[in-house]
Amino acid sequence: MTETITEAVTGSAPVPVQPQFVRRRPRRSNSDAIQLRVLATPSIVILCLIGVYPIIYAVYQSLRSGTLISSGSFVGLANYKYVLTNSTFWSSARFTLIFTLAAVVGSYLVGLALALTFQAGFPGARIIKPLLLLPWVVPVVVSMTSWGWLIGTGQGLADEFTHALGLGDVGFLATPTNAVISVSVVKIWESFPFMLLVLGAAMETIDPTLYEAARVDGAGWWASTRHITLPLLRNVSFMTWILMAIFSVNDFPTVWLLTGGGPVGATQSLVVYAYELVFQEFHTGQGIAIAIFATLIAGGMAIGLFRFLNPGSTRTSRRVAR
Amino acid sequence: MTAPVHGGTNALTRRRRRGRAVRLVVITIFAVIALVPIGVVVINSVLPPGALVSGGITLAHGFTLANYRYVLDQTTALLYFRNSMIVAVSTAALTIVIGAPAGYALARGRGRDLSTYSLSLFLYQALPTVVFVIPLFLLFVPLHLDNTLQGLVIVYTAGSLPFGIWMLRSAFEAIPFVLEESARIDGCTLIGGFRRIVLANSAPGLLSVGMFSFLLAWNDYLVADIMERTNSIYTLPIGLETFFQEYSTNWGAVMALAVFMLVPPVLLFMVASRYFRIGGIGGSVVG
Repeated sequence: MTETITEAVTGSAPVPVQPQFVRRRPRRSNSDAIQLRVLATPSIVILCLIGVYPIIYAVYQSLRSGTLISSGSFVGLANYKYVLTNSTFWSSARFTLIFTLAAVVGSYLVGLALALTFQAGFPGARIIKPLLLLPWVVPVVVSMTSWGWLIGTGQGLADEFTHALGLGDVGFLATPTNAVISVSVVKIWESFPFMLLVLGAAMETIDPTLYEAARVDGAGWWASTRHITLPLLRNVSFMTWILMAIFSVNDFPTVWLLTGGGPVGATQSLVVYAYELVFQEFHTGQGIAIAIFATLIAGGMAIGLFRFLNPGSTRTSRRVAR
Repeated sequence: MTAPVHGGTNALTRRRRRGRAVRLVVITIFAVIALVPIGVVVINSVLPPGALVSGGITLAHGFTLANYRYVLDQTTALLYFRNSMIVAVSTAALTIVIGAPAGYALARGRGRDLSTYSLSLFLYQALPTVVFVIPLFLLFVPLHLDNTLQGLVIVYTAGSLPFGIWMLRSAFEAIPFVLEESARIDGCTLIGGFRRIVLANSAPGLLSVGMFSFLLAWNDYLVADIMERTNSIYTLPIGLETFFQEYSTNWGAVMALAVFMLVPPVLLFMVASRYFRIGGIGGSVVG
């Protein structure tokens, strides 16, 4: 009984909520419309204060030469110009791109493979699945502390392992190339449970009679995966890619706690660079200009996703996994 | 496994059974490797001070609670834990109290203003925290909200509201509108219908939003890093950083505190996966 309610709540309802049922237009009196808007007001107030004000202030500061304590003078677009002609910005943008692509592609492939395996079924799946979601649940500070010890101290388990294999000191975070690869792998480790969770839930909504019909027609596992599962996962896959791309562009703690952006800036993402400029070099305007670039990238992807999920803008019906 | 009737099915069943065994083995190996980073935290925390997990010789040391005793007696870990708990529970409560009416407005109301609000929430959710946190810090200093637990709660509540409102809206949409309609005919007010019918039937939705916002507040590093400046205000992520020393980090203590930080989210998650189906977008932002 509670099952159906929670399914609807968590967005994984096997049968989508009937639109005509829920969206039946209330017989609206003016007072209802006003009351509903009053109900939304507290949230609007707090979001304006904590959301809109900072963004306006950020744009304002990005046009000035201030620091954290002085507001400086108006410099127009000089900060943006400085940033765009600065090679550190471009290397940060490059790392952010690599990091994001690795996170999206890597975690998607791992998550999809796992979800398909769980779909095929095996004994003990109910016990193992929640365990596999742990990397997503454990606080990032904890997991990065652990990864830092494993691969970053030179005496962790990973280093011992490479010594045992006769590879000697690999220095997982010591050289630029190694650090980029290691950080990407850690990010994939952190993110695959999200993909497993969402793709797994979407697979459960696929009508089982489709598979039965395919089996009757003599289709094996690969054929039904290719012709039923994957095509039906197209929309939800697109959604997970965009969400993961947004998460990755905005991800500060993974990189910061693992490498601090080093060595020699090799793993400095845009948000880490922005943080360093503001809080360590006190170039507030330039730092914020970079954060605004990251904002535009993430915001652009979010609007794209919103349009995709809500075709016809005011309609709110879900198209996930359909 | 049902008994096969004739030879053909027999071979098929055997193949299917082998497939299941292969999958079990592969996934188990994958899970063991994937859980190493979490496992070593727990194991390292119960090894004697100075000893850390290493190939094979770990168990020879025996297990001890010395690291936990050290963390509890010699450090202010309990204070960090208390601060984190206060902040996360308050965030969860506030998010529900402020988010539920807004979710209801979006579920039942119509109009351009509300759909614009809905889009803004979505957009807000996607923006990097770095861009907010600097102006917020500058705003909070004159208001004396920087370096306070209240300030953190406000920022985290704002951070979890957009997604919380979205989740609550879809929870409320699942409750048939006819129920409220007939209550209205019987003389119930709009607010009364919201309270007695919609809220009363949305316990799982309210709980999952509470859980999501608890986790967001509990796990955050960046806002805490910028807003907290004195030891008495430190939450666990920042408290953990004080354990790292330039030359000699006491890894046993670090790992013990990390376990303190890990237990509440994992417990919550276990309860959740027991009683709820976490999936869809619902699971997407957990952590």
